[in-house]
Amino acid sequence: MRKILTWLFTLLGGLSALQAQDTRPVTGLADEREVVYAFRNATLVSDPQTILRGATLLIRKDRIIGAGTQVDIPPGAIVYDLKGSYVYPSFIDAFTDYGMPEVKAEARGNRRERGPQVESTTSGAYYWNQAVHPEFEAHAVFDADAKKAAEWRKLGFGAALSLQKDGIARGSAVLVWLGEGRDHEQILRDRAANGFSFNKGSSTQDYPSSLMGSIALLRQAYLDARWYAQAPEKTHDFSLEAWNNNITLPQVFEVSDYRSALRADRIAKEFGQKYIIKGGGDEYKRVEEIQKTGAAFILPLNFPKAFDVSNPFDALNINLGEMRHWEMAPANPGILAKAGVPFAFTCSGLKDKKDFHAALLKAVRCGLSKEKALAALTTVPAELFGMAAQTGTLKAGMLASFFICTKDYFEKDPVILEHWVAGKRYVIRWTDSLDIRASYALKLDTLSRWNLVASGEQHAPEWSLRRDSVKVKVEASQMNSQWTFRFEPNKGKGAYRLNGSFSEHGDTLSGQAQSPEGNWLSWSALRSGNADQRKDSAKTDSAFVLPPTWYPNMAYGWKGKEGFPKAGAVLFQNVTAWTCEEQGILHHTDVLIRDGKIVAVGKASDAEKVNMAGVEVVNGSGLHLTPGIIDEHSHIAINEGVNEGTQSITSEVRIGDVIDPDDIDIYRQLAGGVTSSHLLHGSANAVGGQTALIKLRWGHAAEELKFKGADPFIKFALGENVKQSNWGDNNVSRYPQTRMGVEQIYIDAFSRARAYDLAWKKFNGTRTKGAPAVAPRRDLELEALAEILNKKRFITCHSYQQGEINMLMHVADSFGFRVNTFTHILEGYKVADKMKKHGAGGSSFSDWWAYKYEVIEAIPYNGAIMHQCGIVTAFNSDDAEMARRLNQEAAKAVKYGNVSEEEALKFVTLNPAKLLHVDQSTGSIKPGKDADLVLWNGPPLSVYSRPLMTFVDGIRYYDSKRDEQMRQENERERQRLIRKMQEEKNSGAPVQKASATLKEHYHCNDLEHLPH
Amino acid sequence: MKMKWICILLCGLSLSAVAQRPVPAGGAGKKILLMGATAHIGNGQVIEMSAIGIDHDKLSFVMDAKGYKPDPRAFDTIIYVNGRQAYPGFIAMNTNLGLSDLELVRATNDFRESGSINPSARALIAYNADSRVIPTVRDNGILLAQVAPQGGLLSGTSSLMQLDAWNWEDAAVKADEGLWLNWPSMRIVKASWADPEEEQKERNDKAMQNLIRQFDEARAYARGNPAIKNRHLEAMKGLFDGSQILYIRCNYAREIVEAVNFAGRYNIRIAIAGGSDSWRVSSLLKEKNIPVIITRTHALPYREDEDVDLPYKLPFLLRKAGVQCAIADDGFWQQRNLGFQAGTAAAYGLSKEEALESITLIPARIMGVEKTCGSLEDGKDATLFISSGDALDMTGCSVEMAFVQGRMIDLDNYQKELYRRYVDKYQLEKK
Repeated sequence: MRKILTWLFTLLGGLSALQAQDTRPVTGLADEREVVYAFRNATLVSDPQTILRGATLLIRKDRIIGAGTQVDIPPGAIVYDLKGSYVYPSFIDAFTDYGMPEVKAEARGNRRERGPQVESTTSGAYYWNQAVHPEFEAHAVFDADAKKAAEWRKLGFGAALSLQKDGIARGSAVLVWLGEGRDHEQILRDRAANGFSFNKGSSTQDYPSSLMGSIALLRQAYLDARWYAQAPEKTHDFSLEAWNNNITLPQVFEVSDYRSALRADRIAKEFGQKYIIKGGGDEYKRVEEIQKTGAAFILPLNFPKAFDVSNPFDALNINLGEMRHWEMAPANPGILAKAGVPFAFTCSGLKDKKDFHAALLKAVRCGLSKEKALAALTTVPAELFGMAAQTGTLKAGMLASFFICTKDYFEKDPVILEHWVAGKRYVIRWTDSLDIRASYALKLDTLSRWNLVASGEQHAPEWSLRRDSVKVKVEASQMNSQWTFRFEPNKGKGAYRLNGSFSEHGDTLSGQAQSPEGNWLSWSALRSGNADQRKDSAKTDSAFVLPPTWYPNMAYGWKGKEGFPKAGAVLFQNVTAWTCEEQGILHHTDVLIRDGKIVAVGKASDAEKVNMAGVEVVNGSGLHLTPGIIDEHSHIAINEGVNEGTQSITSEVRIGDVIDPDDIDIYRQLAGGVTSSHLLHGSANAVGGQTALIKLRWGHAAEELKFKGADPFIKFALGENVKQSNWGDNNVSRYPQTRMGVEQIYIDAFSRARAYDLAWKKFNGTRTKGAPAVAPRRDLELEALAEILNKKRFITCHSYQQGEINMLMHVADSFGFRVNTFTHILEGYKVADKMKKHGAGGSSFSDWWAYKYEVIEAIPYNGAIMHQCGIVTAFNSDDAEMARRLNQEAAKAVKYGNVSEEEALKFVTLNPAKLLHVDQSTGSIKPGKDADLVLWNGPPLSVYSRPLMTFVDGIRYYDSKRDEQMRQENERERQRLIRKMQEEKNSGAPVQKASATLKEHYHCNDLEHLPH
Repeated sequence: MKMKWICILLCGLSLSAVAQRPVPAGGAGKKILLMGATAHIGNGQVIEMSAIGIDHDKLSFVMDAKGYKPDPRAFDTIIYVNGRQAYPGFIAMNTNLGLSDLELVRATNDFRESGSINPSARALIAYNADSRVIPTVRDNGILLAQVAPQGGLLSGTSSLMQLDAWNWEDAAVKADEGLWLNWPSMRIVKASWADPEEEQKERNDKAMQNLIRQFDEARAYARGNPAIKNRHLEAMKGLFDGSQILYIRCNYAREIVEAVNFAGRYNIRIAIAGGSDSWRVSSLLKEKNIPVIITRTHALPYREDEDVDLPYKLPFLLRKAGVQCAIADDGFWQQRNLGFQAGTAAAYGLSKEEALESITLIPARIMGVEKTCGSLEDGKDATLFISSGDALDMTGCSVEMAFVQGRMIDLDNYQKELYRRYVDKYQLEKK
């Protein structure tokens, strides 16, 4: 039976050999061979779960025709004895640009210096954006690189997914062998995957300049491709055609970190896609969310080096988050494996591919099982790219790609002797298959009592000359079958120089030698015993103990999931409560919160006191309780760009896509009494992006920060930034450059949005009647504007100069909507009557001015005047620092313009809540509202007061006493890691310089990533 | 009767102010008595019920008014300011007030000369006494400003100005009192906008070598009798004879230590400006008696891991360690919040009087003008103001009158004028 099977596979092998034939004419003599190779006595790692000892691997041409312990070796086969060696299936690197042409990244330079590039420079009928080029096909340009392939093979890799790592829609990838010879033979599968990223790469086109812009562009391209597939009338676009052709391939999406992995997943869900996410290696930071994506990952092994912390001041430059990442990154694969997240590995990201093995071992030492590690290198990538029936395991019928390794690959310093790629042999280290390690009794001249000893590694033995306890160094080398030995048994008397060969069975060495005096001698050495095997004294690394993940994994993070603060019941007793409601300021009162809500305000009745079990009582004597501060204009917690200021209208971009939950500024704002921040797009264009209102639920993932059920808003802007007035002389062409153009661009955009809206309404109407109709093209930009027209989305508009403010209100009136909020609005005092009539609110700075021409007439009395004219008035920060003291900014409304303290506090609590349409749930102390509260140690408007506790949804996210504790914990953790990094340095491991990572703090005029 | 005086004075001021800028007050020649204010002396002391005598441009006495019966004939004016607070004029250090009027309008910016070696550049003459910003700053009690250049390696010299003047000559209290140096960075940074680390290191090393060269040559020049006069080296002579102080802008601990070592090597007087990490090396600063001028307490922590309130408590940490610490604010229009920067320090460790000292007497000492400025003491300049409440707190600060070298200044400004204009337009007072 077994034989039949063997024959069957032989037949199959023959078939595939036929398939692999090519069209080249035979120009010399035909040289077709059908040799069978047998590798016996091997430890055969057939698949990650199956390790067969004493097994045989049988191959014929490019196929495996037998693999196992019961394989008959056919007559005529070439047999290799692999006693002591291991055979592994070739690894697959799941993310490379092997054989791809170099991407010529034209230096884009600073946009200010270069001037605008609005259009794509790609020639041909392709997509309007240069960063979207799905028409690229890796297989069409693949060019094997023998030198690089050899480097990979040495590590165990025999195949690689290759794609061009450039642009947002990157085109198709090719799965190739890492062999030598004609390119034809290297292609394992063309169109093996389709590539994406958020990085525009070499595109010189302005759009997109931010992460949120990349996301918007991707979403729009998906919609465009769908529309293109069914639109009856359209101009040709070969990018969109390619997009649709690629959509059934495995989709590989490269991201920089776990946050962007979750962003990619949201796109996948929106468009019914399943991504294979090439991650950044920090997925452990939010493993629960990563697990929920259901995506497979491709993980890098570029674990950070320890920082050089020898100098204590230099060590300060390294944040705890970086130190913890250094410690935990190697555990990332293990953590994901335990969470059941499937993943493949890549060498991508390693500075030197040679570091791969050490990194892999590190991952295993830090909790990854060998089986999962092997799977990540073989079966998982084979499955991801649809090649599991061809490669990834060593079974009869599979392609013959494997490597021979001197020992278990997961031991230190394994040597790969040979790598066979699709049946083609690549010798990496030539060696006899014999194990020559032994003691040989030497007969040479007068040296009869000496033994020539080979010990150590089988394939790289160390030679010595020994007599009793005397040991003399032997210089030994091998060329083909002949050995050279040189040694000096008596120091100072000169060396013997030997040439010799092993007998057939390896038990005798013999040959000719020359004595120190120059006499020619015959010599021999007979195997007389085993070499004493020195135990590898290499120290065993101390066991890795996985520390709990902090949320976020940095200073002030909560220690594990159980470390999060929880909502309970708290009674603030005998406190001064600034209700921001009709009762005003209540002295010596009580406020009860429970399960996230404010339950009661006023002297607690006896009845309530009965029900006080489990209620924490806070003695509020001398303390003040206020609603949490709401910052109407903030740019904290935003990743990779606050402005998509490349086009004048970018209503399609969404801050909600790029929320950074790991921004320390969230915690810092909490320490200043802020409970909600309205994260805005910048002010570089007339219509910026959609905003995101968040609650400062420190430690939670981005999606959980979003203020549930809040009305959607969008940022508009007027003035110098929109006109690029301060961009230098190279930026004078983007429309608009004057206030005149700003009005026109609004009228034009809203006219188009109205037409768009009508087209959809018409379509939806006909659809319900059952009449077939082709849907209009979905346009994310116009869709957002149409929402404004339909009063489903609301504007907050960056504004200074009165003329423009007046203009925008007229534009809004003419289109039948209302400008909800003017933000900054430093000349609001000049048009307060008009704003009141229009129904706009104002969210201003207390006292900023003189930073640009358009604020030359800004006055600190602005807030007071707007308020006194009946406008809902707020003060905001636009600044991560000032946001921590918005209570003091509110106090300036008292100082400049005599607003009462009670009303002034509303400037940063109830009024912004009203402007944001969330005053039903927050902004004042009222039973039924969310328990978003701040407890102060003094009157809230005083410079001398500070928050003692800040509650969001009844959860104490900031507590000044706990903060003291956390500081100590931070310091202890720092010292632990600093000690550990020093140990690493002492062990001789390479370290990296302690350079300081600077954080980006955005303001609304920050372009690209250049704060100023 | 005397209370009426105040009303007339104050009303007269507000009515007369229809011009864009207030006219500098007339020459001091009067004897004025301020009776009844709580006097915050500036050196830590407080007199609950004070009598403050002004004789021409000087303070003739500052004393406890208990049991004091003023002789009306001895004064031209007696002003009763009971229940109010008297402070020495706040001193804004390290500011470009008067050197810039609108940040983004290049034509108004005169604080950064081109090139990196500019010891001869003088902020003094660039100071625009007519700036519309200055009256808004005075209105919160800032009556003196150290006007300092920025940029390059050696930015130029600063001067101490009083803020009620016809021109820079009138304004100068102490001309060219110190030279400003931006210490070359000793930190390699990683950021999306940062240059490659190797380039940074090379640039920093070069700047350091250039700095040493400048000072070696300047010292040799100062010691010798060079035949060829050099504008740059001439301007640095004052450092080596002790007449000038070198203000060194730096924040990182290693930079501060390097700056201190540098001062020792050249035997020059220095002060650290910025000093985010100064508390980490406070023993060294104390030992060498080097003062620190903090730029803003209203700042974010220097590093992610640091205490969230570190900038707030930095003045306290330094004072506790025995280091002289002045508090400054960034920029020019922002100077009107200087008192609140100090107020924040008082919320985080300093006493209110210590906080006051850090924007009055300590700056005066650093600039070597403590004999005439910085506190309400006999014989010093009568540069002071009266606030209705605590001038370090937004809810208290309301300056009712101010004197610069004995002259009662006009506290009106352009912003108040606009305010009045629109209060009238909307008839807000009637509401």
